[in-house]
Formats: sequence, structure tokens, C-alpha cells
Amino acid sequence: MSDFLKLDKLTLSYGGPTPAVENLDFSMGKSELVALLGPSGCGKTTTMRAVAGLMKPVSGTITLDERDITRVSANKRGVGLVFQSYALFPHLSVFENVAFGLRLARVPGAEIKRRVDAVLASVGLSHLAARQPRELSGGQQQRVALARSIVVEPKLLLLDEPLSNLDARLRLEMRSELARLQDELGITMVYVTHDQAEALALADRIIVMREGRIEQAGTPEDIYERPVSIFVANFMGFENCFELTDGKLKGIAAPSFETGSAAGVAWRPHAVVLGQGPHTGTVIGASYLGPVVEYLLSTPLGDIKAEAPASAPRHAMGQAIAFDLPQAGAVLLARP
Amino acid sequence: MFANRRLGILLLAPATLFVLVGFIIPVLILLAGAFRSGDTWTLTNYIDFFGQPLNREVFVRTFRLGLIVTAVSAVIGYGVAMAVVEAGPKSKGRLVAMLVLPLMISPVARTYAWLVILGRTGFVNVALTSIGLTDAPLRILFTETAVFIGLIQLFFPLMVLPLISSLENMPRDVVPAARVLGASWFSVFFKVILPLTREGLVVGGTLVFVGSLTAYVTPAILGGSKVLMLETLLYQRVSVANDFASAAVIAVILIAMSILTNMLLKRLASVRRGR
Repeated sequence: MSDFLKLDKLTLSYGGPTPAVENLDFSMGKSELVALLGPSGCGKTTTMRAVAGLMKPVSGTITLDERDITRVSANKRGVGLVFQSYALFPHLSVFENVAFGLRLARVPGAEIKRRVDAVLASVGLSHLAARQPRELSGGQQQRVALARSIVVEPKLLLLDEPLSNLDARLRLEMRSELARLQDELGITMVYVTHDQAEALALADRIIVMREGRIEQAGTPEDIYERPVSIFVANFMGFENCFELTDGKLKGIAAPSFETGSAAGVAWRPHAVVLGQGPHTGTVIGASYLGPVVEYLLSTPLGDIKAEAPASAPRHAMGQAIAFDLPQAGAVLLARP
Repeated sequence: MFANRRLGILLLAPATLFVLVGFIIPVLILLAGAFRSGDTWTLTNYIDFFGQPLNREVFVRTFRLGLIVTAVSAVIGYGVAMAVVEAGPKSKGRLVAMLVLPLMISPVARTYAWLVILGRTGFVNVALTSIGLTDAPLRILFTETAVFIGLIQLFFPLMVLPLISSLENMPRDVVPAARVLGASWFSVFFKVILPLTREGLVVGGTLVFVGSLTAYVTPAILGGSKVLMLETLLYQRVSVANDFASAAVIAVILIAMSILTNMLLKRLASVRRGR
């Protein structure tokens, strides 16, 4: 993997007692799309603002295309940024919003016209060029923000939760559009999100952040199938994550398989076997989800989520039920 | 809300009547007086007024000072307003309180304080002579500089407060967005901040400019009869010279300027809305 963008021991702080981001190391290759994934407050947006030059690091360096840009000011970095709030200029038309960066770079008028028209066409907004931003829907504003960032051909494009203000259907539509644009233009992108589905669908690589540090980095498959910690497992939809003490689960018999030095173990709801097995729990909740029914069991181990086909006989609330946490589907976690 | 129009009219009537009898009619009589000489309608009063060099000088000085005060408070005002907006919520409250505080003190008291500071044995002159910057005390009082200082201090909050509120109403992230697109701080100000805070600038500018034109206490105390402004001249014409014709002319000029300024600046403010 080449080091097109490289963060070296980056520490960022808003002046509080603990830094927002501490000793962050990461690098990515050209034309890659990396997702920074994590809950709010994990430092992902802060990291991105530092890469864009909107925030000075306490220590560490940022290298882009073999140039140290740590001290370069935001307007000279060649880094684009699409804001969560879109941040369109309300006093300028759609065309002028997109042309903003080109005008600053003193690109000749005819070329500005050509490039703005081309990029507006590629995001499907040619017919709205003369409109004011406030006359556009959220999805259209999003496209303008995107067009405005890519028309100046940045070396690196950062996207800060770009889809979080859109409704579910539009989000899916924009997601595939982003994927298409990235494919066509080969832009190197860092995509900040708290939505694991978005990260899995778009990214070549995912970096899961927690409290200002990298919790796990890898391909979407790595992260989804082999999370290293309870934190990542929780984030990736493992509902049943338990700590192991000396290879044992607290409260019930030890799992019937080798746990090695793992600190935790996790099962997705569909991996829990219901109706048979060595353990017993009480049904304290049931939700019909269409193809499956999801049960919440109260067990000596804690609450467990399990799924059963909707066609199977239903279990009543308060009913005691046998279950198993089998080796198949168990994922061992190295860290709590 | 308008279910009962009659009641609405009834409720408005006392105030309307009061303004009509107590303000509009006297003002109209006064304005009419400026265009009358004896029993005929005429512009003689204006020709006479502007015929005198002193009057012309006062007229020009009033506008010059008004413009300078407005321009200077706009420049400093943007700096202060941006600092206030950038400050944390706690210090923001304190800074705004400090800006508002002078507005709650009588302009007479505030202006007398300047006498103490700017006088021959005042703070400024003592400081300057003791560090040897000047040999003799500077004459600051009863100069245009003194009036300028007094007016700036008097009206500065009226510029800053609208600027703060329009800066706070700017959409989030437009400044960093402009930076990332390659704008220098200079471009950020002129291409983003200025257009988006134009309304605040217009409101503040109107208040400061019209306020400076029509201030009386500050030029009277800090300028005296050496630095006459239209307001102080007006007072002199009426109470010293009993010259109601000139006084009426000055009144017309001041009222007309206030209205014109407001119209002009309103038009400037609405340009960006395309109306």
C-alpha cells in the first residue's frame, strides 16, 4: 500500500484535559476510498478537519503526495471537503457556488463555464444552475456541495457524514452515486461516517475509531467478520458480546470450544440456537421483523438476542427456553 | 388576529392621535417654515443659509465626521464582532455585556468623562508628557478629534451588536468551506462574510451615521463652539440668534439625510435578495 496520505503520530486537542485524537497513525493509497467509522465524539471529524487544515495538530505530521502539509494553510492544501451541513454559499447561485474555487484560482471565464457545466451534468443538476441554494432540496444541495468540491480537482476529497441529513431512500441513491463518481474520477476519498452499512458498502478500507484512537483497521470483510474487540463487534451488529475471564464466560458453563487467549466472544442473533442446548433463558421480549422473529432472552449471562424463522412456533413471553451458543458463528475477540 | 378590525383601530387610535398631534403636525409646520419667507413659498432660506461660509463649513464637517465615524466603527466593529462570535459561550456573554454597558450610562456622563481624560491635565496628556512623547500638553479637547473620539465611543455598540447577530446567523461552515476551496482570509471576508452580513452592516451603519449627524451632547461638550456640528449650530441659531429660518433649514437637512440614508442603505441590503 502506497502512502499517498499519511498521518504520523497525529495528536489533536480542543484544549480539554484529554486530547480529541491521540497518536494517530494511518496511511492510504491513491484512488482509495477509506471510511473513518465510529460513534460521535470518537475523533473522526476532528481528524478530518486537521487533514483539511482547519485545525492545527498538537503534534505529529500529515503528508499528502510526498509533501509535508502539516503547516500548510487550508487554502493551499489541495484538499476538498464536503461538509455535513453542505455549507453552500446562500448568496450565490448554484453555478457560482460551484465556480467559487475556480474563480479564486483565476481560471479563465470560458473554462470555468465549461468545467462547471460538466460537473453539474455529472451530478445531474444542469437544469438548476441558475437557482439559489435555498430553492433546492436536501439531496440537490448535497450534490451541489459535492460538485463544488470536485470541480477544483483536489488531490484528496474528505466527506464528513455527507448522507446523514438525507432520508433513507435518498441516502441509498446518493450512496451509489458517490460510488459511481469515485469509480469514474478515481478520486482519493476519506469518508467519515457513524453508519456501518455506509462504510461497508462504499469503502475499500475501514478504520474504526474509538476515543481518539484507531480500534481496528482493515477491509470491510475483516472488520465485519473478524472484529478484534467487543467495541467493534457491537458496532458491526454483533448483538451478543461477552467478556471472557480465563477463557470462561461469566455465569454459565464455559463454551465447549477452545478460546485461547481471547478476551471476548460474540454471536450475531441468527447464530444463537433456540429450543435446544445446555443453557436456559426466559423470553422477555419478542419483535416480529418480517422474515424472522427476534427474541430477547434474560439469562445468567445477561440479555441475549436470538432470531428464529417467523414460520417456527412462537415462544410466549415469560416462557423458559433452552438455547445454545455454538462454536459455529462464534467470533473470538482479542480485546474487550 | 384580525378578527376584529374595529377593535384594532380603536386600540391604535390613542397612539396614532398622539403621534399626529404631538409630532407629525409640528414637524410639518417646522418643515413648511423652512420654505417660507414672509408670506411666500421660497428657497431663499436655503440660499441664505448656504451663502454663509461658516454654515457650509459646519455642513461639510458634520457629514465628514459622520462618514468617518461610521467607517471606522465598521472596520473595528467587524474585528470585535468576529472575536465575540469566536469566543466561548461564557466569555461571549461577558463581552456582549461589556459592549452594552455604556449604552446604559447617560451620554452626558460619558461625555464628561472624556473631558477628564482628554483635558490639558487629563490622563492622556499626563501620560504623553511623562514618557516624554510631547513637551507641552496636546490640545485635544474642542477639536474634531475629540468629537470623533466621543462619537465613536457613543455609537460603537450600535454597530457591533447588529454585526454580531448577523455573523451568528451566517450558515455554519461557510467560512471553512471557502478556506478549503482556496480562499485567502482576505477573499473569505470580501466574498463570504461581507455579503452574508450586509444586513447587519446596513443596520449598524444607519444607526451610527444618523446618530452621529444628530448627536447633540457630544459635539456640544467635546467640540464646543470651536467645532460646530449641524446640531450644535441649530441650537445656537435658535437660542442665541433667535434665527428660526436657519434652524428650520438645518432641521430639514437633518431629517432629509436620515431618511435618505435609510432608503439608500435599505436598497443596498436588499440587493443580495434580488428584490
